[in-house]
Amino acid sequence: MTPSTARRLSLVPAPPRPSPFVPSVDAFERIVDEFQRRLYGFALRMTGSREDAEEIVQDAFVRAFRALGKMSDQQRTELRLQPWLYTIALNVTRNRLRGRRPSNVALDALSDPEALLNSAQEGPEQPEAIVTRAADMVLVEQALLRLPMHLRAAATLRFIEGRSHPEIAEILDQPIGTVKSHVHRAVRILRRILGPQLGRMTATREDREDDRAVF
Amino acid sequence: MRCSDVQEVWDERRETAASRYDQIALHLRACAHCQALYKKNEGVAYCLSRLALVEPPIRLATNILEHLKSLKADGLATFASPLGLLRVAFRESGITFIALESEEKACDIRARIERRLRRPLRDADLPVRLRETLEAYFRTWSADEANIDISALTPFEQAALHQAALIPAGQTRSYGWIAVAIGRPHAARAVGQAMARNPVPLLYPCHRVTAADGNLHNYGYGTAMKRRILIMEGCRSYGRQA
Repeated sequence: MTPSTARRLSLVPAPPRPSPFVPSVDAFERIVDEFQRRLYGFALRMTGSREDAEEIVQDAFVRAFRALGKMSDQQRTELRLQPWLYTIALNVTRNRLRGRRPSNVALDALSDPEALLNSAQEGPEQPEAIVTRAADMVLVEQALLRLPMHLRAAATLRFIEGRSHPEIAEILDQPIGTVKSHVHRAVRILRRILGPQLGRMTATREDREDDRAVF
Repeated sequence: MRCSDVQEVWDERRETAASRYDQIALHLRACAHCQALYKKNEGVAYCLSRLALVEPPIRLATNILEHLKSLKADGLATFASPLGLLRVAFRESGITFIALESEEKACDIRARIERRLRRPLRDADLPVRLRETLEAYFRTWSADEANIDISALTPFEQAALHQAALIPAGQTRSYGWIAVAIGRPHAARAVGQAMARNPVPLLYPCHRVTAADGNLHNYGYGTAMKRRILIMEGCRSYGRQA
């Protein structure tokens, strides 16, 4: 008898599903440590403001903590933590940006030149190239902020956070088809905004394996 | 494959089945238009993926955890009253616990409140709004229920306490009276239990609830204290003594 058959016949108890945490502050610390970077990056790309991002992450974790305290053990065990946290962060972001006109969305320079200079660089790069690249990154950031919020969320989750379509569908609480179409529309708009610069920005890019296979 | 089909799946082709992938590649090699579009789309995706990862401020996690700790704990303050020193636990929503002065040691009282509330306590000053609630009780013998938080109790316990709050100062009612009033005429004993578990004595006047024959019955801080509070509130007769 295989172990799985035995389990089906209840001869062997099913392995306990790991209960990820109890809602104490100390246990929650682990969750904050693990996800703060991701949620902060997401909120930053959504708002374009470090200050907003910081407050959104705080608020999101407080809400998550309260919600966890109200859940039953079973709900907590079945909870998919990562998408759930993204969803909370997204809701907080929406509430925060609601009523603000797009032009009021802060466009503080996220790509501070120093961070870009220090960011991973293979080999020495000419100073002019670095400056151009920093300016390019600001262009991309601002282009992203010009998207309507639902398209920005889809594009950010897909290309910056690298989430799969089903995951994004779970986070945004939308059908996968809708998510795909939002991603497409976001890319189409970005293509138009970045149009002329796109060729230069991607010129230095090393072609990826699978692209070489296609082209 | 048609151009529209190929364009539709560019974002999925890495996740797509091998046979379909080959079809896409075949189309792209033959169609310059789709090829250019794919390259542009890839360019957009590449630009987004290259946006610098910005580290959150170092203090962010610490701030969050400290904030959570302060949320979780109830404040604990003292209040000098005509009945002696009261220990008052509270949170944003209102007063959650009152311990009357007794023989009990301060650390034991604290531990008892923490066990009962199932939350830690932190020493804090009583907010003005709650201080005024207590002062008002010792003037008018009634309390603003909006400043008391008994939401952790069962609906039955809450109903029994709300009903007790309707007994005018200087008077008493029986456990049975409350049971009838809240629509549970046979639950007089359960009302007794609810009164015994009252976390906010004085403000919810469980001391005004006595046995049907007027006997003081019981009180968390002893019947002598119950009598003292009733006399303080102007109650002249609370029935026969045991």
